[in-house]
Amino acid sequence: MALVETRELTKTYDAGTVRALDGLTVTVDHGVVGLVGANGAGKSTLFRILLGLTEPDAGTVVVDGIDVATDPIGVRARLGFMPEHDCLPDDQSAADIVSTLGEIAGLAPRDARQRASDVLDLVGLDEARFRPVEGFSTGMRQRSKLAQAIVADPTLVLLDEPTAGLDPAGRQEMLDLVARLGRFGISVMMATHLLDDVQSTCDQVVMIDGGRLVGSGRTEDLLETTGVVRVDVGGHGARLVDELGAVATLLPDGSVELPAGDDRIDAVVDAVARAGLPLHALSSRRASLDGLFAITDRDVG
Amino acid sequence: MTASSATAPSGAVYDRGYRPFEGTLGGRRAARAAVYRASLRRAVGLRRSWRQKLFPWFLLAVASVPAVVWVGVAYITRGTPAEAVEIITYREYLGVSTALLVFVAFAAPDVLCPDRRHRTLPLYFARPLTGTDYAVAKVGAIATLVFAFSFLPQVVLYVGQLLVSDGAFEYFGNNLEVLWKIPVATVAFSAYFSLLACAIASLTTRRIIAAATLLILLLGSSGFAAGLSEASGASERPDGFQVELDEDGVEGDAPVGTGPNSTIAPGPILREYEDPSSAWGAVDLLDAPMHVRDLVFEGEVIEVYLAGVDGAGLLAVSVYLLVVMTSAGTLWWRYRWVEP
Repeated sequence: MALVETRELTKTYDAGTVRALDGLTVTVDHGVVGLVGANGAGKSTLFRILLGLTEPDAGTVVVDGIDVATDPIGVRARLGFMPEHDCLPDDQSAADIVSTLGEIAGLAPRDARQRASDVLDLVGLDEARFRPVEGFSTGMRQRSKLAQAIVADPTLVLLDEPTAGLDPAGRQEMLDLVARLGRFGISVMMATHLLDDVQSTCDQVVMIDGGRLVGSGRTEDLLETTGVVRVDVGGHGARLVDELGAVATLLPDGSVELPAGDDRIDAVVDAVARAGLPLHALSSRRASLDGLFAITDRDVG
Repeated sequence: MTASSATAPSGAVYDRGYRPFEGTLGGRRAARAAVYRASLRRAVGLRRSWRQKLFPWFLLAVASVPAVVWVGVAYITRGTPAEAVEIITYREYLGVSTALLVFVAFAAPDVLCPDRRHRTLPLYFARPLTGTDYAVAKVGAIATLVFAFSFLPQVVLYVGQLLVSDGAFEYFGNNLEVLWKIPVATVAFSAYFSLLACAIASLTTRRIIAAATLLILLLGSSGFAAGLSEASGASERPDGFQVELDEDGVEGDAPVGTGPNSTIAPGPILREYEDPSSAWGAVDLLDAPMHVRDLVFEGEVIEVYLAGVDGAGLLAVSVYLLVVMTSAGTLWWRYRWVEP
């Protein structure tokens, strides 16, 4: 069963003049999912709809088998949410905040205190958890926000720009934590416009732009299918292109480039052998998500 | 809920493993109860600094001291002629509890405003909680405290009076009606101030603005009602009619010292109506719950300026309900949607 499934999801604002989501249809499996898009792409709107806090104009959303429209409370009981903005009351300790939010999520008071202690330890706030968050650094606040999101052991955690405002070290710590949640069996959907974060952390990616789906799938697969294979046959590239067909491109330096894909390297080696050409170099290079997003976004646009 | 796949420690700072929760999560009721408990704690300063504890407990003391003093006086004057003088009635004691208005003015904004100011609401509403649940829990917490702070002194008063009376059973039998009148009037009092204070607090992110607005609204309306009543040239009460306390502690209009149950000789005047009767008294929002209290205890409005006005009871109940329903509507409107 898919974790999240949206069909023709549409949401407009300002009397229909702003289309935040435009017929978004996507299926997401359990795992760590990167929701990629520029600011205003519709990521936050999708989160609001998943949480049942905003009604879509059209379309359906099913989370873990539950239709958000018919049972938003049931869906929220399975979700954790970490907003992008600062949202912690300054005069309370992280332990109190996380414990109280755990109770509101349905934990008994005693369980909530224990779970708060556990998850704050997990995110690296052990002794600091008893101090008012007023004195916390941005990184500590972000980790407190992550702790409250996972305190009730959700099936899916929605993280809205979790690395926003963090320095490189803090960002890496946060990404490590996100990756670890995935290994613990908690699914994560991480909205971000930082493609590097997704590439290093997420096993699935959903790319949206202007409220429309640009691309989705397993990160590995997307990168694999959009990589390139380059062959240097000592200036005899034209003959290799003839051998490989339209899929290959002759580059100015005489080498040949062709899109990566299943068994592509074996096919190239066979073609070189058949043509009796010297194989000087063979390399395969993956596309970055930046490049992939730029390509697919251009294609959709 | 989720299965854990334990991983070997990699040496990272956070690598302490993760234990999934294997119990059962509560639903909306548990969420509502959690917000209610958290609001109660915050309002009385639990898990907060001593300075934040001081204020609510000081007000509780202020609201309770008169009851304790009365019981002490009643004990000391037992068996003396002064015993017959009733210093304060249950009905009047609820007026003393109006001092809790100061508590409400500061406690309601303190439990509501920070949630909006710190943008904590999305964290609440990302959980199994609706806007209505949230508002009910918040108002419920404040109302509970106001009720407790108003009701407990009445209990002290009642138990004290029971103990110092000549016959406890006789006192009990003669005062059966207060056993329902006190709680009903106190509920009406608590609900009114709690709803109004929370509704105002929901409109701003600044606690001090909410507190000032409530106090200005209530005290201002009281002054406004007085001014309008005086200026309207409303009918004065007949000359010579003043108010005394009857044996049962009820105020009654009668010439001085001539009330049917008066125990006081002409001369000492316990209270006197100097104010005219006017329907403008209904706009006194501070007195609105006191009018309802009068209806509960006496069956008629006897508080200035509405006392003596034709249809005063209906007018008082209408104003009370209007304020309560407007406040509830405001809260519903403010928390119907919360955008993360």
